[in-house]
Amino acid sequence: MLVSKDSYMYEMIRTELTDIVGDDNVCTRDADKFGHSIDYYWIPEMWHDRGMETPKPDFIIHPGSAEEIAKVVKVANHYHIPVVPWGGGSGSQGGALPVYGGIIIDMKRMNKFKGIDREALTVTCQTGMIARHLEWRCNKEGYSTMHLPASIACATIGGFLAHRGTGVLSTKYGKIEDMVMSLEVVTPTGEIIRTLPVPRHASGPDLTMLFLGSEGTLGIITEVTLKVHPQPEAREFRAYIFKDFHTAMSAGAELMRSRLQPCAVRLYDEEETIHHVRKVFGMELDKGAYLVFGFDGRKDIVDCQMRYAREIMEKKFKGKDLGSKGGELWWENKYKFFYPPFMFHMPQAFGTLDTVATFSNIEKVYWAMKKVVNENFPQARFIGHFSHWYEWGCMLYARFIFEEEYVPKDPREAAALYNRVWDLAIRAAIANGGVINEHHGVGLKLGRLMKELYGPAMPVLEGIKKQLDPNNIMNPGKLGFKGV
Amino acid sequence: MNIDNYTDAIKNCRFCFMCRHLSAIGNVLFTEADTPRVRAAMIYGITQHPEQLANRDFIDTLYRSDLSAACRYHCVSHFDENGLNIAARTDVVQAGFAPDYVKNIAAELKKSEKWTVKGSGDVLYFEDSYTAETKTVAKAFDKIMKKAKVPYQTVTGGCIGKALKILGFPTEAKAAAEKFAKVVKDSKAKILVVSNPAAYDALVHDYKEFGIKLSAKVMHTSEYLRTLKLKFKKAGELYYLESDFLKNYNDNCKFPRALLADLKAEIKPFGTNNEESYTCGEGAVVLPKICEGIVEKLAKYIEERADDPKKDLLVVASPYTKIFLTKYTKLNVKTLEELAAEHI
Repeated sequence: MLVSKDSYMYEMIRTELTDIVGDDNVCTRDADKFGHSIDYYWIPEMWHDRGMETPKPDFIIHPGSAEEIAKVVKVANHYHIPVVPWGGGSGSQGGALPVYGGIIIDMKRMNKFKGIDREALTVTCQTGMIARHLEWRCNKEGYSTMHLPASIACATIGGFLAHRGTGVLSTKYGKIEDMVMSLEVVTPTGEIIRTLPVPRHASGPDLTMLFLGSEGTLGIITEVTLKVHPQPEAREFRAYIFKDFHTAMSAGAELMRSRLQPCAVRLYDEEETIHHVRKVFGMELDKGAYLVFGFDGRKDIVDCQMRYAREIMEKKFKGKDLGSKGGELWWENKYKFFYPPFMFHMPQAFGTLDTVATFSNIEKVYWAMKKVVNENFPQARFIGHFSHWYEWGCMLYARFIFEEEYVPKDPREAAALYNRVWDLAIRAAIANGGVINEHHGVGLKLGRLMKELYGPAMPVLEGIKKQLDPNNIMNPGKLGFKGV
Repeated sequence: MNIDNYTDAIKNCRFCFMCRHLSAIGNVLFTEADTPRVRAAMIYGITQHPEQLANRDFIDTLYRSDLSAACRYHCVSHFDENGLNIAARTDVVQAGFAPDYVKNIAAELKKSEKWTVKGSGDVLYFEDSYTAETKTVAKAFDKIMKKAKVPYQTVTGGCIGKALKILGFPTEAKAAAEKFAKVVKDSKAKILVVSNPAAYDALVHDYKEFGIKLSAKVMHTSEYLRTLKLKFKKAGELYYLESDFLKNYNDNCKFPRALLADLKAEIKPFGTNNEESYTCGEGAVVLPKICEGIVEKLAKYIEERADDPKKDLLVVASPYTKIFLTKYTKLNVKTLEELAAEHI
């Protein structure tokens, strides 16, 4: 904490902040500070579970405009106070935690829907809008963002932009970075800038991509224009059980290489099929790996694509057809996996080691991560599914789980064990062609591994950070950048 | 502690974000604290550090919850953060930490008790304080009853236990409920009809919890009016705003929509979804006495979601919602009783 509440400087700074956003929009209540001290990252959850004090901000600001944010940022620069943007607080990497105290800029008041351009099929909104609210608003007019992650109910659009989030229909509609047309950003020194109005151009390097995934370290994204899509006439799913994970992966990769256009593909390894798919669906499944995919769009085109996809699954890879019912079950229950008690929860220790690699490498990554977890932590379970598929490869959503009896009671020991799993597993991913994350971001959790991932390229990122944020006020200590 | 009866909700809600988009208060104050996740995590903290029960910020956060139960209805496992919140309020009261505003509301509720029964007949209509405040709902009910030629009694005068219960005074709530049950028994009525969904929920669920068996069958007006088999003129196009108590507390009670179907109403979807609570804090019953500024924000939030705020007809099941939507917005709001009375 940089500003002690007992210091009169606390009141001096509060006066300046209140002058900018109004008294109602500067919170210093214990309840609000507490609410911003825990996100969806296991470490602060565990810390609270063990009765420990979680790091809290000094001030929580609810700005109403980019102009107000710019002024707050200037005050923060003047006093060298850390500024941490907060959307829905549902990030799993600790990216929004106020680990050095300072000012939390809670973006949820910036929730204005600015309209749909029906010619260009785009929607513009402020980034504090909860994604579910934006999607509902688009649905009312017959459109969809097609960004439908499990966290849609809790995360803001800005949160997804800040860490390059992904939804369940990413295979056809892309990750959030593929959906963005342009951004408005408040820079760390308090300037309000706009990136170019279109994402495809030859007008120099792409500033939009610079800010996407920057996790609040390079500025605060305040407004976005996203692509929208008409609601499809049809969306159909089909599922298969394959004898093993390798066969299922080969079938999925072949589906992608065929250049059919599935909207979603998901493959669960044998372990996750047995323990989780069965539990959530409440149905018996044969032993093996469960693969589901779907197509959407015009009905006749969906039917045609489904016919070709079935040929790949059935003739070439001998998958056992679970029919459209087996696929629809997944679509209907896609979020159920993330509700308690289906989601892993305290006092278990668990984490999502998501990574992404080409089809040439993805199985190597999977086996390397599984091996390192199994060998070093025999008390842990390792499960995985492959949830976002691209023309060239797919994402591995690997998870490790320690049951309560294997998690140290001492919070420091528990944190050390937890970090060790990440270090070993992520290093195994990097060594085999993976990266440290696919769609949850880096945050506090993985920052220490950024140098290993980027190697000699890391100083390029550090140079950009230094240039944009000379006082290092924006979300210090995240994304592998230096702390306070 | 009362919160110990809600271990499931504490453990499952404290780190879960899946219903945060439905937090009515969170959506107007934009605060993280006013979400089921943070309230549950805060209460977990109290189990670890009991001295935190006295924290005034925590207490105020508990008392400004909308208690809409939209979270519980939405949750795939229906974890009861609502019940947890009320249990925590009860612990606050029993530990002697209730703020003055809570004590004053409870004292006022206890003082207001003065039961009066008028009229005759097998039907007893309970005109609670919110129904009475509208001045029009009971009149509409009377018009329909006259048309149907059904004699009825009315009962007015006090808290039947709901408000005291949600404030954290279950003993006093039970005492109030017992007195009301006696009033009902003495009336010899066979059917007890209520317009206020909060009263309906109290009589159906809370009384059972208190071990009180009512001598009359409890019906919400929307259920009772259908039994009269009246012929209605076509009500036309309208928006129906669900009641927290009838939808989220009573498993999406079918009677209001059935009555609207009898009225041949063409119900248009309001706003963007049917999950959020559009009630101005009906579930919290006395929220206007705790923080009327929040109620005003909730009303404006609803107004902003109307397709055409000047023209749209919004029908509500709750007199409470009508009062505060009318007070703080320009929306045209009618209760089910008023709509039915206009179309007989």
